[in-house]
Amino acid sequence: MNKRPLWTSLILIVVIAWGSLGAMVASGWDPKLGLDLQGGFSVVLAAPEGTDQAVLDQAVITMRSRIESLGAVQEPEISVQGDRRILVQLPGVEDRERALAAVGTTGQLTFRPVYDYQAISPAFLDGTLPLPDSMTTTTTAAPDATTTTTAASDGATTTTVAGETTTTTAAAETTTSTTTTTTTTQPPVIPDGIDPDTGISLVDDPNQPVYLPGDDGRVYSLGPAFLTGADLTGAEPGFGSIGLGGTGGWTVDPAFTSEGGAKFEAATAELSQFPYGDPRRQMAIVLDGKVISAPSIAQDVAAGESLPADTVIITIGSAEDSQQQAEDLATVLRYGALPTTFERESEGSVSASLGSDSLRAGLIAGIAGLILVALALIVYYRVLGLIAVLGFTVFGSLLIGTIILLGQTQGTTLTLSGVTGIIVSVGITADSYIVFFERVKEENHRGRALKPAVDYGFKRAFHTIITADTVTLAGSALLWLLAIGPVKGFALTLGIATLVDVIVAYYFTRPFAQLLVRSGLGEGGAMSIRGAMGTTATEVTS
Amino acid sequence: MSVWGDLYRGETEFDFVRNRRRFFIISGVLILVSIISLFTRGLDGSVDFTGGAIVEAPNHSGQDVGAYRANLSEIGLAGARVQIRTEPDGSETVVVQTEALAVDMRDQLVAKVAEISGDNPNDLSIEAVGPTFGSEITRRAIEALVIFLLVVALFITWTFEWKMAAAALTALFHDLIITAGVYSIVGFQVTPATVIAILTILGYSLYDTVVVFDKITENVHELGNRHTFTEIANLSMNQVLMRSLNTSLTSLLPIGSLLFVGSYLLGAATLREFALALFIGIAAGTYSSIFVATPLLTEWKETEPQWQRMQRRASRRTSGIQLNEAQVASVKAAEEKRATGATPRAPKRRTKHR
Repeated sequence: MNKRPLWTSLILIVVIAWGSLGAMVASGWDPKLGLDLQGGFSVVLAAPEGTDQAVLDQAVITMRSRIESLGAVQEPEISVQGDRRILVQLPGVEDRERALAAVGTTGQLTFRPVYDYQAISPAFLDGTLPLPDSMTTTTTAAPDATTTTTAASDGATTTTVAGETTTTTAAAETTTSTTTTTTTTQPPVIPDGIDPDTGISLVDDPNQPVYLPGDDGRVYSLGPAFLTGADLTGAEPGFGSIGLGGTGGWTVDPAFTSEGGAKFEAATAELSQFPYGDPRRQMAIVLDGKVISAPSIAQDVAAGESLPADTVIITIGSAEDSQQQAEDLATVLRYGALPTTFERESEGSVSASLGSDSLRAGLIAGIAGLILVALALIVYYRVLGLIAVLGFTVFGSLLIGTIILLGQTQGTTLTLSGVTGIIVSVGITADSYIVFFERVKEENHRGRALKPAVDYGFKRAFHTIITADTVTLAGSALLWLLAIGPVKGFALTLGIATLVDVIVAYYFTRPFAQLLVRSGLGEGGAMSIRGAMGTTATEVTS
Repeated sequence: MSVWGDLYRGETEFDFVRNRRRFFIISGVLILVSIISLFTRGLDGSVDFTGGAIVEAPNHSGQDVGAYRANLSEIGLAGARVQIRTEPDGSETVVVQTEALAVDMRDQLVAKVAEISGDNPNDLSIEAVGPTFGSEITRRAIEALVIFLLVVALFITWTFEWKMAAAALTALFHDLIITAGVYSIVGFQVTPATVIAILTILGYSLYDTVVVFDKITENVHELGNRHTFTEIANLSMNQVLMRSLNTSLTSLLPIGSLLFVGSYLLGAATLREFALALFIGIAAGTYSSIFVATPLLTEWKETEPQWQRMQRRASRRTSGIQLNEAQVASVKAAEEKRATGATPRAPKRRTKHR
């Protein structure tokens, strides 16, 4: 047998396993520990007085889904505390604001007709001006606000750049017009509950007309919502051509339910009856009481014509953090709005709930257990046991390396559940060796010489290992996909460990054993493979 | 030759299958006791499942988590979750969560926390706290489990056969019920770590059974035309016995170390709960793959016409050509079956053997 491929495989996997772990440790990468082992960040979110318990429970479910879909934070602990508070604990400190935004954002999305809009004067904001009645009938465009239409090749898409300019793409030539003073023919109903200082509605009730601020610095007068976040089936972040001259930017593409789609089409048909340039031709997209964009129906859409629902895009922009903003907004929309608004209370970092004593005890116990396993294997299988012990180091390096890597790139954290997964995987990987060694013994006892016993024994044992590992792997993959919380963390560790087990068995154990049986340690001496077989060379050759 | 020597060489000849009734009775009693206890005593869920009480206090004394937990276990609250929260201004607050408590225990808890933290008990308030491992997580975990079991059953059916899948799942439930039963009987708290441990047992139990069934399938291919299923099952189990024992040993050593060194010698009570579940579960898993899954499979397989024929042939070999009444009846029954068109499967092709 050609020994070179065996050596190549053996050296390669040892170098990869030890080398990558060594490199990670040298560059100061640690596994990210979870809330129970290392502590993290804690915030209490308070709902308004008198919030129903069922509403809080629903909010907990939504918050958990949102955080887990961020991917960056694993295994948050979220519970209802008292009669109107939710206690959120997150491991680690990175991306804390992002995670907090994910739990704290209400995510109430509405699509509303625009009645009118007006620039907010600074005096208006600092409360020196009373709420003008004229605001409901007259709007003055911000001095630099321009409404721009640009040519587009693929028909009408409604988009808006969040900022000073409102852009509408249409299949027409570029025209620029400046809106000056407009007098609305149909004065909107003055809603109740307006902040006397800012002129903005206190509550963003989807069923009422409201005054809401826009990202573009205007105050919008808006009608009751055409449709809300409940009409969405999902939302996907995307990158596409938006704004003037088709500069790229991040967008969120909401998907409607069939009912929501019909509502949207009816709404656009209603809006397109207004002439182009009239603010009432615009539809405002409102998130948590803020108009994030208010695109106009494109100029070439005839009066009464509707737009298909799949043309809706919420534009985020092209700033550095736009991608994250788009992804986070899509996440918030996908899992629906929180049933109520929450305010942050008592934030702070929290210590590990297990404490260093438990972690230390666990480590000492784990190492003691490993030493016992190693001793048992060496006593029982002699030099083959040594393969297993070296194999453990390769297995451990690959496993810990993968966990560190996932922690650094995906924010995967290692909790007590994960550590349990690792300890159990030691048992499973030890079993792979035992299945193999017992098989070799059996083949040897049946009369095969040592070398073919090792070669054939591996082939058969590997079949068993693959079959058994497939069950474990399928189990952990399913648990990982379907479960949430600590169960997910456990499934990940166990799944990785099972894969590593198969890799180590094939690329480390097999070549090592085959090389060993061809070396001086194959025959001769109590410590040799022959010694472990409990047979003698003559017994076999007969 | 000593038993150990035979064991070492895989040459033991224990008759696992003949004594199967005895093992079924042992397992049946254990399962019955477990189920009775689960229904009457139930399981003691930790604060993570049930929610309970939460006390917050400024940590004036600056004690650490370990000190709080040690003091709380003195008043019987060893399962309490203790955390120190550092506020943005740098001051520390100790947060203690326990399961729901009776009024006098609540007062004791507040008094104890106040005593350690150096606060006035009257300044501390106790609030209710909901579960972190709530019904949603449990529901999703159960859904995942059901789908998992279905997939595993399909996989085993596809790799081996459906009777093996049924036997493997029976052994699995055997292990799960007994483990849960021990928790119920001993009255240990069930924490999320325990749930994880039980999931682990699930994987382990299946793994162990699959290894045994793999051997049986292989032996059936090699010896199926000369031996009864009982003989093959016995042979297979004797062949994998050493492997089963060794694997149990290597799995139980680290867990046992965690259980005894970690939780008893070093006093980390939090490790005990899942180490115990793993210990019982893996022990039960090894037991059930040998004494439950395979005997059950044998019981089923021996009713198949192909294996019944083999059994008749075997008994003719041992007791001459004299057939007893039962055998005559079964031969007649088989002949009738043949007449009605139910042809028994042809004997398996002889594979090479040396």
